[in-house]
Amino acid sequence: MEPEETQAYLAPKLGPKLLAVEPFKGTAGRVRFESSAALDVFREVRDGLGYRHLSMVGGIDWVDHREVFYVAWTDDRKEYLLLSTDVPSTDPRVESAVPIWPSANWHEREAFELVGITFDHHPDLRRLLTPDGYEFHPLLRSFKLHEPEELEVKTRNV
Amino acid sequence: MSEMWVNMGPQHPMTHGLWNLRVRIDGEIIVDVDPEMGYLHRGIEKISEDRHYNEVITLMDRTCYVAGMAWEHLYIIAAEDALHIEVPARAQWIRTLTDELQRIASHIMWYAAFVQDLGLMSPFLYGMRDRDLVLDLFQSFTGGRLTYEYNRAGGVRNDLPNGFTDQTRKVMDWLMERFREYDALCLGSEIFRRRCDGIGVLKANDAIPLGVTGPMLRAAGVRRDLRKDRPYAAYDQVEFDVALADAADVTARYLVRMEELRQSVRIVRQTLDWLDKNPGPVLADHLPRWLGAPYAPVGREGYLLKRNYPQGVGFSSVEEPHGEAQAYVVNTGGEHPYRVKFRSPVFANLGAAKQYMIGYRVADIPPIMGSVDICVGEVDR
Repeated sequence: MEPEETQAYLAPKLGPKLLAVEPFKGTAGRVRFESSAALDVFREVRDGLGYRHLSMVGGIDWVDHREVFYVAWTDDRKEYLLLSTDVPSTDPRVESAVPIWPSANWHEREAFELVGITFDHHPDLRRLLTPDGYEFHPLLRSFKLHEPEELEVKTRNV
Repeated sequence: MSEMWVNMGPQHPMTHGLWNLRVRIDGEIIVDVDPEMGYLHRGIEKISEDRHYNEVITLMDRTCYVAGMAWEHLYIIAAEDALHIEVPARAQWIRTLTDELQRIASHIMWYAAFVQDLGLMSPFLYGMRDRDLVLDLFQSFTGGRLTYEYNRAGGVRNDLPNGFTDQTRKVMDWLMERFREYDALCLGSEIFRRRCDGIGVLKANDAIPLGVTGPMLRAAGVRRDLRKDRPYAAYDQVEFDVALADAADVTARYLVRMEELRQSVRIVRQTLDWLDKNPGPVLADHLPRWLGAPYAPVGREGYLLKRNYPQGVGFSSVEEPHGEAQAYVVNTGGEHPYRVKFRSPVFANLGAAKQYMIGYRVADIPPIMGSVDICVGEVDR
């Protein structure tokens, strides 16, 4: 399915909440949408377009905002569809995809702990890979593995 | 009877790696499960953000330590997409060959560990013996037995050595005979059948929404294999069948993996024939200088050229021995990838554990978990 066809299908259902459907190499396109319409988008993509399998959920920290992306797959046409939405850094939250795709459960737990995105109405939003009580979100850009070393060259007065 | 939580792990013969399966039991019946992961979390996605594109390959070998080559391949497709690099045909065929050899090594490793869980000790030793032959092949052209660092953005590091194809053909002939023995040891065994038939059932209707992929999904009768559905490397030019079963239980997963071993041998033989006839370069010309020659260290001035390089996002997916792995690489024009995200098939297969474990007995846990083929390295990353 071409990105234009996806756009033509989704646009009347979602209105201005659908921002764009961009071409993306190796997939049927990338759907950009407003995070407030997340559940409607998931439902349309699964029921209307037939993407019954959600492969992964991930987050990207763009410093001024954060991006949540989803990869869905359909067995009917054997192709991927990328979904992507932006959330503000100050209050990064988006509706959980678990009611639509149960497979989102662990992926969202991972995005929650590593990128610090809160998924509303997630059934079990606990940390998965890092220990309970760990207070950092390691995949944020502000979490530095090491600061660039500044070499201080001291000249000795001989 | 009162219910209670039991920890199976982090050190338990069933776990094959460091993770904890918390099981809620009512007598002998499993009421709830809660896998606890993270003991092996090394932050590979985070470390990748501080490394040059070719340096991430070293991490990929460690992501899944029984299928390093498949993970290198996965990452390198996405990186090449993000960096806009073309790959010569011979390198594509070599990658197909190494992927399949890796699948054979990984499935034999699975077989060895799985039957050991069931209490059959001799097949474990046979499996380890036969896997070593495949690792010897890897050693002959990469120098490594588990961590290869063989793929490069733009191709592979070096060509195959003289006599490699003949040696590989001999090993494949040997293995095909051994696979018959494997089947005789397991499928002919009353104990094996009683412990595995009808256990851990995961039907297609449950498996697809739960994101289960790979041999577990094909054992439920779903014809889904990325090598066929979305061919990468040279998979569109080789002939093979997708292994399928429909019982969706532990035995079905065993049958699917054994059939995949035979199909992999079939693919390996075809790639060897092609590689014999078609010499050529294995690494793309005109690589951007900052990527460096295969062996040479990259100089500081080399990085500066990167500034004008086009940005891009790469997405790739390959059929790894455990299932469908995906990589998402964001290149914003810096020296390092801005963000690397991996999808591990075992991560999703294990996340569906409630579906195929609840209702069975405690003694069924080792066969069920064995049939999932868990590699903790790629779950935790």
